[in-house]
Amino acid sequence: MAAGVAAWLPFARAAAIGWMPVASTPMPIPPQDKRKAQDGLIILNVSGTKFQTWRNTLERYPDTLLGSTERDFFFHEETNEYFFDRDPDIFRHILNFYRTGKLHYPRQECISAYDEELAFFGIIPEIIGDCCYEEYKDRRRENAERLQDDEEMDMNNDVTPVNLTFREYLWRAFENPHTSTLALVFYYVTGFFIAISVMANVVETVPCGTLPNRSKEISCGDRYALAFFCLDTACVMIFTVEYLLRLIAAPSRYKFMKSVMSVIDVVAIMPYYIGLVMTDNDQVSGAFVTLRVFRVFRIFKFSRHSAGLRILGYTLKSCASELGFLLFSLTMAIIIFATVMFYAEKGSTASKFTSIPAAFWYTIVTMTTLGYGDMVPKTIVGKVFGSICSLSGVLVIALPVPVIVSNFSRIYHQSQRAEKRRAQRKTRLARIRAAKIRGTNAYMRYKQNGLLIDSLEEASKEAGQALVGKAASPPFESQHHHLLHCLEKTTNHEFVDEQTFQANCMEISVMNKSGSRASSLSSSPHGLSSCCSRRHRKKSSFSLPSTNNQELSTIQIRERPVVNSRSSLNAKLDETVPLKCDEPYITPSMVSLSAPVVTSSDGDSSTTTTAYSQSNIVRVSAL
Amino acid sequence: MVTMNLEGLEMIAVLVVVVLFVKVLEQFGLLEAGYDDSVEDELELSAVRHRPEGLEQLEAQTRFSRKELQILYRGFKNECPSGVVNEETFKDIYSQFFPQGDASTYAHFLFNAFDTDHNGSVSFEDFVMGLSILLRGTVQEKLNWAFNLYDINKDGYITKEEMLDIMKAIYDMMGKCTYPVLKEETPRQHVEVFFQKMDKNKDGVVTIDEFIDCCQNDENIMRSMHLFENVL
Repeated sequence: MAAGVAAWLPFARAAAIGWMPVASTPMPIPPQDKRKAQDGLIILNVSGTKFQTWRNTLERYPDTLLGSTERDFFFHEETNEYFFDRDPDIFRHILNFYRTGKLHYPRQECISAYDEELAFFGIIPEIIGDCCYEEYKDRRRENAERLQDDEEMDMNNDVTPVNLTFREYLWRAFENPHTSTLALVFYYVTGFFIAISVMANVVETVPCGTLPNRSKEISCGDRYALAFFCLDTACVMIFTVEYLLRLIAAPSRYKFMKSVMSVIDVVAIMPYYIGLVMTDNDQVSGAFVTLRVFRVFRIFKFSRHSAGLRILGYTLKSCASELGFLLFSLTMAIIIFATVMFYAEKGSTASKFTSIPAAFWYTIVTMTTLGYGDMVPKTIVGKVFGSICSLSGVLVIALPVPVIVSNFSRIYHQSQRAEKRRAQRKTRLARIRAAKIRGTNAYMRYKQNGLLIDSLEEASKEAGQALVGKAASPPFESQHHHLLHCLEKTTNHEFVDEQTFQANCMEISVMNKSGSRASSLSSSPHGLSSCCSRRHRKKSSFSLPSTNNQELSTIQIRERPVVNSRSSLNAKLDETVPLKCDEPYITPSMVSLSAPVVTSSDGDSSTTTTAYSQSNIVRVSAL
Repeated sequence: MVTMNLEGLEMIAVLVVVVLFVKVLEQFGLLEAGYDDSVEDELELSAVRHRPEGLEQLEAQTRFSRKELQILYRGFKNECPSGVVNEETFKDIYSQFFPQGDASTYAHFLFNAFDTDHNGSVSFEDFVMGLSILLRGTVQEKLNWAFNLYDINKDGYITKEEMLDIMKAIYDMMGKCTYPVLKEETPRQHVEVFFQKMDKNKDGVVTIDEFIDCCQNDENIMRSMHLFENVL
């Protein structure tokens, strides 16, 4: 029952008195009206814009936020109103839904913003009124397509795992030729050979002059038969090899064999092989000639090389219904007009309209406004109907064309958007990486500050020195950093930035090769692959592999000048101190404690950090 | 060439040409298409708007308090912004309360019962007067109203046919899916029962006095009359 007619329920109940005299059994007891509704006004303050409505209006829909007790969470005692920190423009529509029972979708609002507001207020979008439902569904579909595009893009481009099998590597090389130079070379070579093959097919038929003892001209194909045959063989070799490689590399062979491109590949190379197998038999040579026609399908192989062709093909596929309608209506019109013309021209002498199928040709030529003139009506009636035929032809063909065009335009713009995103990917990733590094640096600074404060308090009770004078980070930041710090303490690992981490990996690999500490790095091969693969996964490099953990106890004892990654963080990010090769065990956990010296130069840091590291070794082990 | 025997096809060709010519003339506005209804439509739309009498008058005429009248009017105006309900809207609204069956027949009878001046539309005054009787009236008045509802042609007598119509309308509201299954003769049987009870002098019709008498003696009916008193 539509709550909109809730206002009429008292009336309907009153009218039920009309049944009473007729009823033979006693009536049930009516429900108690719990709330003798103090129908008061409710003030809803949405980001400063005040809306007011009756309480009953809101309570018409008790399973939404505003209609249930959930709104009490937003009650603001000081001003005695309900405050929502949401968009007032969209809220207007939501409140109108309560008032009129119909939910409308404003065309100028962004679909995701609207969806969010609906979700917040607990209203399901399916109750959008008929007037706005189409628009809503269209926009939603577009948005979903866009999101799907982006996801696919990200998935395709981000994951670049190193350890692929040969087969997967091959498949990726075929699908995205930009991944490696070899793939690119192969891509261009095949493109070149497709072009060569198609041109050869074309040139083959050009008349090339006459043989000395014949008067008839022969085509180039017959004259230089051997040359063309060799060229054809070469092309087919290449295509065959390509097809077989694709077949091997395909993740799902059955699906690959069903796909359009593979069918085109097969059709392109089959005629050659069939020609090889067949002998010069007279009966089949006719069929053989037909087969040669299929060689022209090689030109479709270009669609792998051209995005535009693919878009065109996809458009035609998606407009299949419109094209079907066009075909159907044309057929109807052709039959009608052909019949009429035939009977109209039946009387005239020497008429070319010998039968209705013969008139089909005239109708098609006229409707598409070609007008060859080989068949022309001679009677007046025929001319009248002929003119009507040509006028209607223009109309019938013009009608479905805009639909196809708009479809093409939509798909084209989608692919443009994908291209643009691809181009901006580099800058986007750089931005993301920069943001991450900023975050990591902020965290390191926080830790330096925090431990600096700790150590200074221990060393000297005079606080408020210039060393500690850093700008106070906002409370959110400081709480976030504290959280990360707690995580570090929990796991006994530390956060490092990406460069340090990669340097560590390289270090470990170098050490692995030198083999001097092979025993301690027993698990390092696994660690190497995991640490480097983690790098590839583009997550922020949080923790070093667990191999370092077991080294902690041994490392603390050594008193080496710890020139390492943390000191580089002391300085600025770009001044990365090159790591010495003979110190494979980078121990970030130690480093943090040596970080407190903010303003010292790199040269000094080694000595001072040593001092600190010595004094603080006990603390480190407490980790 | 002079002998112009128009054969069938040529006739059609001529017809087509003539039709095209007429259409072109229409486009130029030289021929009237013959659409006269557009003017009438406009007038009709502007006339359908109704404002009720003042609040004080309604307060005097009905037994509702000021606040109750306000609430009633707000609900009424929300559903029918133009101020009057015509039969179609009335049937629509009433049908929404009984989705399983067909409430349109009963709504039709109800509409006639509410439309006391029989002008084809129920204004707010009619609406509120009717409700006043049903919710705040004496038992006598309520029974009177019910009699008025059953008496379709308003001649003061309820005949078996009228009662059968009403009964069928009520059973129609139930729809098909009932337990036990509705049979064809159920309404008729019910009407028989009703007439046995009500028709004291067995003359085949029920008059207003017979009706009120009988209802006042029936406990069930008396009790049910007070059922909906706190609806508003």
